[in-house]
Amino acid sequence: MSDPRQRDLDTLLRREFEGPVADDGFSDRVLRQLPPRRNLRWPLWLGLSVGASAAGLALARTPLLRIGWQDWLAGQLSAAGIGMWLMAMGIAWLVAAWALSATASR
Amino acid sequence: MADDAAAARVDQALAARARHGDRQAFEHLVRRHQGLVRAQLRRLLHGDHSLADDLAQETFLLAWRKLAQFRGDAQFSTWLYRIAYTCFLQARRQPAQRERTEPERMDLLQAPAHGIDLQLDLQRCMGRLSAAEQAVLLHCVQMGLSHDQAAYVLAMPLGTVKTHALRGKAKLKACLAAWRDDDSEETHP
Repeated sequence: MSDPRQRDLDTLLRREFEGPVADDGFSDRVLRQLPPRRNLRWPLWLGLSVGASAAGLALARTPLLRIGWQDWLAGQLSAAGIGMWLMAMGIAWLVAAWALSATASR
Repeated sequence: MADDAAAARVDQALAARARHGDRQAFEHLVRRHQGLVRAQLRRLLHGDHSLADDLAQETFLLAWRKLAQFRGDAQFSTWLYRIAYTCFLQARRQPAQRERTEPERMDLLQAPAHGIDLQLDLQRCMGRLSAAEQAVLLHCVQMGLSHDQAAYVLAMPLGTVKTHALRGKAKLKACLAAWRDDDSEETHP
């Protein structure tokens, strides 16, 4: 059992609290200020395509891309082929992560 | 208790819908919780209604933006109170707002030896408590949160919340001792 004085004090404190405030148009004011919800998927796709394009441009002038692509088509798992795909994926994911963090911090 | 659990489930469902951009679901959440969020801020701001409403609005706009971060570990209402308390602390840090958010030094006011009204005396005694003790008593006793929930809202360790609650109540009892003595005299003349 708790101390009756403690209970009295709690009751007194609760009585002193006014409780929930009446709306009086507050909710409507908040809802009018509400910005549209951002679709968080577009930065991901934007990041992926920008990253893939950047990777493609970076590799376009080197024989690595051609060799890797030929090996890939021939079904050979060469170092050039694996390197090409890892690089493309790495750049794409880095750009995607950047795009997501930039959007989230806004 | 069952009502609380049912209300929490409704909040979780509404929050899940709002997270996917359902503005109507968020509207329900605002209407369900604005009353207590505004009451919480009015109390923290010592009755400054206009600043409390500005901060309450900021609280709900932040909640809308950060809905993706609400994972349902805490109740939605508790999550809102935490955002509101953070907004209050940020407002208090701004020099322009500090004067408005600083509590009046009620303890410096000349109080009558025997208070005319118990409620007025209680308010005066509350003003003598530290900001942390006032915040803990507001959330734990007046708003009816558990110690765990208050610790989450105030970002304090659980032990600190319990200590502030005990100390705050002890100070209030001491401050209101005159009333208790009066009551005993009336009961036992």
